[in-house]
Amino acid sequence: MAYTIPVGPYHPALEEPFKVEAQCEGEVMRSARVSVGFSFRGIELLMQKRNWMDAVTLVERVCGICSNTHSMIFCMAAEQISGIAPPPRAQYIRVIVAELERLHSHLLWAGVGAEDIGFHSLFMEVYQARETVMDLLEALTGNRVNYGMNRVGGVNRDIADPKAHLGALAGLKTALTELVGPAFLANPTARARLVDVGPLTREQGVEWGVVGPVARASGIDVDVRRDQPYLVYADLDFRPTLHTEGDVRARVLVRVEEMLESIRLVEAALAAMPEGPIAAVDGWPAIPPGEATIRIEAPRGEVIYHVVSDGGETPARVKIRTPSFVNIPAIEAMVPGQQLADLAIIQASVDPCISCTDR
Amino acid sequence: MTPTVRLAPLVAALPGARIRPTPSGVRLDVDGLDADALVGAVGRLDLRLGAITGTPSLGSNETEIVYHFVGPDGFVDVATATRNGAIASLAPFLRPASWAEREIHDLFAVDFVGHPDPSPLMRPEGFEVGMMRAPMCAARRLPPHTRSE
Repeated sequence: MAYTIPVGPYHPALEEPFKVEAQCEGEVMRSARVSVGFSFRGIELLMQKRNWMDAVTLVERVCGICSNTHSMIFCMAAEQISGIAPPPRAQYIRVIVAELERLHSHLLWAGVGAEDIGFHSLFMEVYQARETVMDLLEALTGNRVNYGMNRVGGVNRDIADPKAHLGALAGLKTALTELVGPAFLANPTARARLVDVGPLTREQGVEWGVVGPVARASGIDVDVRRDQPYLVYADLDFRPTLHTEGDVRARVLVRVEEMLESIRLVEAALAAMPEGPIAAVDGWPAIPPGEATIRIEAPRGEVIYHVVSDGGETPARVKIRTPSFVNIPAIEAMVPGQQLADLAIIQASVDPCISCTDR
Repeated sequence: MTPTVRLAPLVAALPGARIRPTPSGVRLDVDGLDADALVGAVGRLDLRLGAITGTPSLGSNETEIVYHFVGPDGFVDVATATRNGAIASLAPFLRPASWAEREIHDLFAVDFVGHPDPSPLMRPEGFEVGMMRAPMCAARRLPPHTRSE
């Protein structure tokens, strides 16, 4: 007999409020329907009420995890409209903070994923490892989240002695290669919960328009850092990762490999950071009329901003397309034929951010 | 091949389209959109739909709709406007358009004709469609004397 299991919008398996209604026959899910919008805040419209300086602070609150992503891309859009080029040192600092943010986002996900498959000791190990990143972020920016680093034309805070932080992530690299990676990928119990679970073929991924680690785990070779390099990623010889299995294990594997690449990028940027100013302009420049459509690679994948200025004190329009907005619907494609007990890890495997999705 | 030459099939598929370069790529402005022609052209050019922006037009019930396609040379923004508050849906052909159109319907009351699932996405129960068309949602403008030079 077919029946429907509603999960959410508020449920222990979900980190944030959204809803998955699974149509089941016995223990097997036949289809699912995803609903969002339970924490809609109207930030795009609120941006039109804030001047360009206040808007940077507001947009950083779109997400508590990838907060730097949002303030950085918004500033990059304003810079493109204004024809302002941030100085090289500011671009290096932006890359360092962005990759540290990717590290803590992926580690947060890994902890949640471990919890969702009942691997509580791994959850605690992952969160212990994550503190290394949080400590470094706090040392560099003064904050554990919402770093307040970006301004139009550069960054607000310099890294006084970059080389002093070299090696700060060495312990994390060891934890990833010797503990987190093997626990997820080689432990028989974990493998049984991840291999062939929540499959998304390359064709399905293209059809649903998925991005980021979800896409790269399904053989879709996209990464904005390589495809349309911004900041100094091209100078740092960024190398993306790609896997083709399309299951939850592949999504874990992609994130583990990306974390190792992020550590390499942070260390390379700290070592190569040039001397010079951290902002191209003093104070806050007026933003002339114009518009910019821009994309960067957030931890969860490609994020797109369309920013319009009419020359006024506030943005005339700010459109925010987050990666979760296109990845979450694809849960519906991963569910058919899967066990109901795997729904928690399947939905978690796309790293759904409802704060980003609902904005 | 320059982006403009590469996009010639798209321009040809959208009669009257006005193309201009932007710092992000190119923008095409179109009066009245042929959804079938647009979907066919972007498919042949291997352009991916990244996002859709809706912006209410001041002083009318119409809405500017900008489709942001991602291509190898940057963004291809196709801009048009609703007619009598409606426009053809791309969702039957491009799955990523579905949620984007449902959100614009909720916020700005745009009727996407032919959408396979026009149920609310962001609109809470008890709210009418177009909840962000209210005058209070318009961009704030400070008096000129408060502007910093």
